[in-house]
Amino acid sequence: MRNYSAFLKKEVLEYTKTYKLLIMLMVFAVFGITNPLMAKLLPEILRKLMTDGNIMTLPEATAYDAWTQFFKNATQMGLIVMVILFSGVLSSELSKGTLINMLTKGLSRTAVILSKYTCMVLVWTISIALCFALTYGYTVYLFPAGETANLIFSTFCLWLFGVFLLVVLLLSATLTKSNYGCLLITGAAAVVCMLVNIIPAAHRYNPISLATDNLGLISNSIAVSSLYCTILISCLLSLLFVFLSVLIFRKKQL
Amino acid sequence: MDLAMLKEYLPFLIPLVIAQLALGITALVHVLRYPHYRFGNKVMWAIIVMLVQFIGPAAYFAFGRGNE
Amino acid sequence: MGILEVNQLFKRFGNHEVLSGFDMDVPEHSIFGFVGQNGAGKTTTMKIVLGLLKPDSGRVTVCGEKVTYGETKTNRNIGFLPDVPEFYGYMRPMEYLKLCGEITGLTKAKTKSKSEELLSLVGLKDEKKKISGFSRGMKQRLGIAQALLNEPKLLICDEPTSALDPIGRKEILDILLAVKGKTTVVFSTHILSDVERVCDRIAVLHKGKLALHGTLSEIKERHRHNGLVLEFGSAEEASLFENTEELKQPSISLSRDGNTVTALLTNHDMGGHFLLGVLSQKRIVPLKFAVMEPTLESLFMEVVQ
Repeated sequence: MRNYSAFLKKEVLEYTKTYKLLIMLMVFAVFGITNPLMAKLLPEILRKLMTDGNIMTLPEATAYDAWTQFFKNATQMGLIVMVILFSGVLSSELSKGTLINMLTKGLSRTAVILSKYTCMVLVWTISIALCFALTYGYTVYLFPAGETANLIFSTFCLWLFGVFLLVVLLLSATLTKSNYGCLLITGAAAVVCMLVNIIPAAHRYNPISLATDNLGLISNSIAVSSLYCTILISCLLSLLFVFLSVLIFRKKQL
Repeated sequence: MDLAMLKEYLPFLIPLVIAQLALGITALVHVLRYPHYRFGNKVMWAIIVMLVQFIGPAAYFAFGRGNE
Repeated sequence: MGILEVNQLFKRFGNHEVLSGFDMDVPEHSIFGFVGQNGAGKTTTMKIVLGLLKPDSGRVTVCGEKVTYGETKTNRNIGFLPDVPEFYGYMRPMEYLKLCGEITGLTKAKTKSKSEELLSLVGLKDEKKKISGFSRGMKQRLGIAQALLNEPKLLICDEPTSALDPIGRKEILDILLAVKGKTTVVFSTHILSDVERVCDRIAVLHKGKLALHGTLSEIKERHRHNGLVLEFGSAEEASLFENTEELKQPSISLSRDGNTVTALLTNHDMGGHFLLGVLSQKRIVPLKFAVMEPTLESLFMEVVQ
């Protein structure tokens, strides 16, 4: 426990001093601002382009469009940036040898894994909260009439998927030596999840549904209750993977 | 874009510009203070972080920055 | 009982057997030189002692406690200095030692006083730079400071001097000598002059086994050859002596280099007096007549060959 808090402090300091926290926050802040802006501007730009006669009736942009942008940008770009940024979570320390000093000082390997995971989840939580707050504020400002269904629940699902993705990343990091290997395994895991989702029956149990059903949730075409099973499975899998990561790292030859 | 439109989007533009400037300047200071890069040279990175919006500084901190 | 005991250690990487039944015993309060060629398995042994690598078989005890692979409690008695120590570059020396103190479980006050003491010992007291701006020698010295922070009973240094210039090397060796009374030091190296300068005991690792073991003087005594060096006033006298009929026998081998003749006597019954007899018979008085002292280098070459 003492090990855990000491190393967690070091992790937080590291993300601050190596500008990783800054990059995450900036990327998510920019997404947060541009989401409603894009929703507003896109139809207007299209309208400008189609001035010569062929008038199409474009629907007026709504708050729903702004949140569509939010769930698209955050799921695709945001998660990719996060995975790339965190891919060196173990390999950079192992290849440089900075962790050896700590381990020979009696730092427990379990504490290494747990504090690293905690810190990643912390950074992800702050980033998505910032992005959500900015999108929310500007959406209210631009589309005062809009009312969106299941917004908090849908964002929670996205957040939970991020938490799940981070544990997959952590497990890959304990399995490989380089950050490219880590990226590769994480990417492969995401692709496998997507492929499995082709089978409709698997949809309910697949964690990736947490990141693909968001639009359905806010448009009320997917029932909230249909995701309960997915949430439960994602939580269980996350716990299992944390446990596995600790187990593997404790037996890893350094 | 006319002036009225610009005014309407000012609440968006100001934070975006601030964010870009903050990132760009942090990265530029880092580029100038630590002249070791995984690849490329000082001039190249200085131009990239100042001129390529958002992606430039992010790329620098993620890939270009030398090991400390 | 030694502070570090290694029994029948085996370790192979793929087809390459690095350690094949290695034994070692380090008594308390010694500076123990652990010598071997590059790739002899010194670092592997140390990593096994630290629980970072898993031995194929064998047993290691530190202060009487068995080392287990992975999470090992024995590390609380050990300070380790890796060959190229790396630190978090964004920290300053004091910050780094504070982190180390928190991890080993020292109190804040204790960490602070100990850090200041150690930083002045290694000559980094007034260093306010970030570690990323440190030279190799400075990192090595900070490495010793962090290794000594928890007052370990055993300090393990992996080639602490190999990457340094002569001044840096001297500084490190002086620090090792300075801590000798408080802790047992094991350090690996392939620089023999360093060993002769500071070590009181050595072990030579060769082909995965212990090739030499003991105190420096013991080893020299044990490996003293029945060899004599004779220096003559002129090359003629030297060659006259070399070509003497009495000396042409299988148990004597002579080699001449200018005025100097080296005689190796393999027959132990036949000592220097035999050569003295020959000299007086031939009426030659050598300038010098000396018993050959083995150097660490010659011993090392001998066991490694």
